[in-house]
Formats: sequence, structure tokens, C-alpha cells
Amino acid sequence: MSLAIEIQKLVKQYPAAPEPALNELSYSVREYTITGLLGPNGAGKTTCISVICGLIAPDSGSVTVLGEDVTSDIQSIRKRIGVVPQRIALFPNLTARENFSYIGRLYGISESDIKDRSQQLLVRLGLEKHADKRVRRYSGGMKRRANIIASLLHAPQLLILDEPTAGVDVQSRALILEFLKDYHSQGHTILYTSHLLEEAERLCEEVVIVDEGKHIVSGSPKELIAQNASCNNLEDVFLHYTGHTVRD
Amino acid sequence: MRKILATILKEWTLTRRDVAGIMLLFLMPSMLIIVMAMIQDAPFKDYQELKFDLLVADHDNGKLARIITKGLKEGKSFNVIDSVDGAPLTEKQLKTLLEDGTYKVGIVIPKGATAEMVNAANIVANNISKKIGLGTLPSREVRDGKHIRMYFDPVSKPTFRMSVTFALDKYITLSSSSMLVDRLDKMGSSAGDTSTLPKQDFEQLFKGIGIKETSLSEEVKHSKYMNSVQHNVPAWAIFGMFFIVIPICSHLIREREEGSALRILLIPNARRSVALGKICFYTIICTLQFVAMFCVGLWVLPMLDLPSLYLGVNAFLLIPMAVSIAFAATSYGYFIGTVFKTSNQAMPFGAISVVILSALGGIWVPIDVLSPMLQNVAKVSPLFWALDGINNITLRNGSFNDVAVNIGVLLAFSTVLWVISTWKNKNRYHSM
Repeated sequence: MSLAIEIQKLVKQYPAAPEPALNELSYSVREYTITGLLGPNGAGKTTCISVICGLIAPDSGSVTVLGEDVTSDIQSIRKRIGVVPQRIALFPNLTARENFSYIGRLYGISESDIKDRSQQLLVRLGLEKHADKRVRRYSGGMKRRANIIASLLHAPQLLILDEPTAGVDVQSRALILEFLKDYHSQGHTILYTSHLLEEAERLCEEVVIVDEGKHIVSGSPKELIAQNASCNNLEDVFLHYTGHTVRD
Repeated sequence: MRKILATILKEWTLTRRDVAGIMLLFLMPSMLIIVMAMIQDAPFKDYQELKFDLLVADHDNGKLARIITKGLKEGKSFNVIDSVDGAPLTEKQLKTLLEDGTYKVGIVIPKGATAEMVNAANIVANNISKKIGLGTLPSREVRDGKHIRMYFDPVSKPTFRMSVTFALDKYITLSSSSMLVDRLDKMGSSAGDTSTLPKQDFEQLFKGIGIKETSLSEEVKHSKYMNSVQHNVPAWAIFGMFFIVIPICSHLIREREEGSALRILLIPNARRSVALGKICFYTIICTLQFVAMFCVGLWVLPMLDLPSLYLGVNAFLLIPMAVSIAFAATSYGYFIGTVFKTSNQAMPFGAISVVILSALGGIWVPIDVLSPMLQNVAKVSPLFWALDGINNITLRNGSFNDVAVNIGVLLAFSTVLWVISTWKNKNRYHSM
């Protein structure tokens, strides 16, 4: 199986920060897998995703996404990846349908495809009844789901999600996770970050644990649990490798 | 009380964290006071206290011209310019200098003006002579149409035109009286005193030479001089257009804060198209604003017993002019919205800078009453080029060549801001 993402010795130092956000971080994501990028607060997960989608330039190291180098052709990569940011990246005064229509046009998708695809996704993520409401009036869970739809309009090969279930109710979370499994089963690769380890254990085929900008350990949740006799679940594994110290 | 104090403390804590914002809150009004005080200094002075450039084309070369020129030069109000590159100024050169707006007023003393004045003085002296039995001086019928021609830049204010007319009238009167005394002396009259002259003799005397306000563009019969409508409609339309900076910058900052700007960054090749789309949209809005304001000047103000707005003979030029102004206003808003991080920084800067630029640009006070230093500073304001361009079209009946510089400056201003904004956007720190 080829690699969807390959990260080699990635370094990123923010100007005012005492420590680098990414400190020679290396890991890879295999194609057609759901991979969880896990780590405590400040571990470098969001910085890593920002580099993958070309929002931040790394100081050194290399990132290859779907066989292309992010520093040489990020626009081509962006056509093939969907990114769901942690923030709700939608126009709050437009309805969901208006948002998808605008975003779809920016991707260069035809009107009929935008209509079909957004309708399909609205139904799948339970928003069809609210499609003509302004996003500003949506609940937190509805906004999260709409945020996912906006990232899938161009049918990306690789979907990257940054804490897609943060702050949503149980029902919305269940729907999102079910949708992600379904999307993966259609032959797509997913990389996602989360603090909810039980969720990651259920969803991910592989996990990468990072801390202080470095790769700590990676493998399937089952393998990682089996490797440590004292660990009963992924949360135990996580605490085993990252410690109990509260992070700032 | 404790809750109120706690809230005050919390607000202070939040405010002091935005140092640039708080500095702008104090700095921008200070700037406004300085600029407005300097600009409004001139209108608070009488026109008599101000000194203006006055072009004089002397085709007479006689005593009348000498008295007028000497009087104007010695007076405090005018800086007389009667030669160009060492050669005496001609009427043609004078008109060219006024047409391009370099100077505001010029007078032409026609050939034979002194002779006409002498003839008029001789006629009056002969009338007196008949009564007291002195000799006669050679005279002929007074020729009509011998006038000192006054040309004004149509943009000049009526009060300014009046003050120039009064000054000129004073020197003609002085010259006429002096000439009459000369004639009477020549006849051997002991009565050099002209105060006993009958009224009709004085009228005869001043028939000799008069003042005539002449239009610069002879082919345009309907040309207008500056009036409240001709100033206020374009001036406040431009001011209103530049206030588009407030919605644009608040919109840009809100999109960054809310996260929708992040979505655009994640879409391939979308950023530049989105920015261009925004610029085009707000340019259209601003242009429509301009059209609406001019419609008010054309049709609403006349209903209120005010003059109708005159658009000039090349009114179609208002379209490229309006689009250039709209583009400049939009680019300025885009620049502020991109450069400043927070609304606290962008809003006071945007609003007050537009007021300052408008004051410098002649929206509040005509540029020609400002000091030479401020007149030069005014050229940094895009609103100056905007208003000057519209005045070139409506009042000076200018052609495309007459507004090409204005349009060029506005487009250059917009392009520079656009390049800076694009660079700033590209180098801004973006993260999810």
C-alpha cells in the first residue's frame, strides 16, 4: 500500500516560542486508512496539519502528500485533499446551501455537481431540513457537520480533520463518526486529530502519538495496547507515552 | 459599585492588550485636530489677508496698465505674474495657464486701454472747459467694447471673484482720477480738485474703460462657475465613496476572525480571485453611490430651489472618473482591512484618515485658500485628485487629456495599495 502522507524530519519554530512546535517530526499515513494524529495540547498536531495543507511553511524537512511535495505544488495538492479545520470555516450570514454553492464554484465544480453533491451530503449528515437556514443560527453540532460538507464538495482523495467532534453533543458525534467510517469504506484516506481517545480507538486503523513536536509511537490501537501489558485501552497507551503532567 | 469597577478593570485589561488600537484612538484625533486647524485657518481669515497669484497680460503698455500693475503689486492681496520665462505674458498663455488649473485668475489689459482712458478724460476736461472758458483737448467718440478682461478658473469661489473685481475697480478709478487731474492741469485749470465734478462727468470718465468677466472656453455658452451645488455634490459624493473603507475593512477582519477567510485559503487558487471579486463588487457599489449622488444634484436639489448640477460638455468622462475614484476608495478599504489586525485598529484609522484625506483634498475647504505648503501636501490625498478631476470635467469642460493625470494618479494609488495588501496577505501568519 502506498503512502498518502509522508513527513520527514519536519521542523517549525514560531518566532516568539521558546521551543520548536515541530522538532524533526517524521511519520507516514498509508493510503485508504483512517489514521489518528494524537497528542496532548501543544504537541504540534495543528501545526503539522497546517504544514500539510500549505498554510505554514516549514523551516526544514519534507512533506509529501499523495506523491507531491507541498513546497513545490500546494495548489495541485489542495485540489485532491479536503481539510476540515477546527474553526468553523463557513460564512455565517449565508445559508448552508449558499455556502456550499459559493465554495463549490471556487473549486470550479459545475452547478449541477454542486447541487447534487451538497444535497447528498446534506442528507447524509442530517442537515437537509436546515439547508436554507443561515449558518449563524445553527447549533454547534450542525456547524461542525456543515463544516465537514464544505470540505467534501470537491470529492477529495484525502480528508484531513482537525478535532471534528470537539464540543458537539453525543448524537452529532455519533453521526459524524458513522459518516467518516462510511466515507473511508468508499476508498478514501482520512487523517484526523482528536483528544477523545476512546473515539480514536473505535475509529482509527492506525494512530500516531506525537508530543513536543516529536513522533513518539505509531501503530494500530490494538498493537499499541498489546505492546504494553499495563495498558487496557488507547488512553492508557497515550498516558504511558506522554505522561501525566498537565500541559499548558 | 464593585461590579462596575470590576467591569472597568476588565475593559482596561482588554484595551491595553491592543496597544496599536489604543494608540490610534489617541493619535488619529490628534492628527485630525492638527490637519483641520491648519486647513480651516485660511477660511477664518478675510480674503484680504490672503495672497493669491494673479496673471496679468499687458497689451496696453500705457499709464493705465502701469498704475493697475503697480497697485496690484504693492497691495497685499496679489502676487502679480506678468511674464513667463522673461517674456511678457500673452493672453493666449494666460488662458492656457488658467484652463489647466495652474492659476485661478488672470486679467488682460487690452491694447489702447490707456488711449481710451485719455480720450474719456479729455472729453470730461473739455466739458469742464466749456463752463470755465479754457481751451479744448483732442477727443473723439468713446468706443464701446474696450474692457479689461478678467478670466477666472471656473472652480474659483464667487467671493474670490468679487474681491478681485473690487481690487481692479479701485485701481481703474485711481487711474481715471489721476488722468483727469493731469488733463485739467494741462489745460491750465487751477481746479485740480475733481470733487466738484458733476455725476454725469464721472460716468463719462468711466465709460472709457470697464471690467468684463470673460469665459475661458468661448465655445461653451452654458459654462458654470463654482456654486454650492457644483462644490458640494461631487465633494460629498467622493467623501461618501471613501467611507466604503468602513464596511470593507470590518468585513475583512470579521471574515478572518470568524474563520471563513481560512476556507478561502484552503481552496486552490482561490485567494486572488476572491480578493478581485471583492474589489470589483465594492467598486461597483461605490460607482453606483456616485451616480446616485449626482442624480440628487441633477434632479432633487433643483426642487429645493438650488441650482442644478452642471456636468460639463464631456459628461461621459465622469464614468471613467467615477470608476477610478471607486477603485481607489475600495483599494484603500482593502488595504486597511488587510494591514490592521483588529477592528479597534482599523475602524478609528479608517474613519479618521478619510476625514483627514478629505480635508486635505479640498472637500471641506477649497484648496486655493490653503497655504502653499498645504497645497503641496494636498496632492498626497486621492480625494484631491478625485475632486480636481471632476472639476476639470464639470467646470473646466475638460477633455480626456485634462483628466488623464487624475485618473492615472488614482489608478496608481489603488495599484500600490493593492500590491501592498496582496503582499501582506501572502505573508500573514495563517494557521488552523
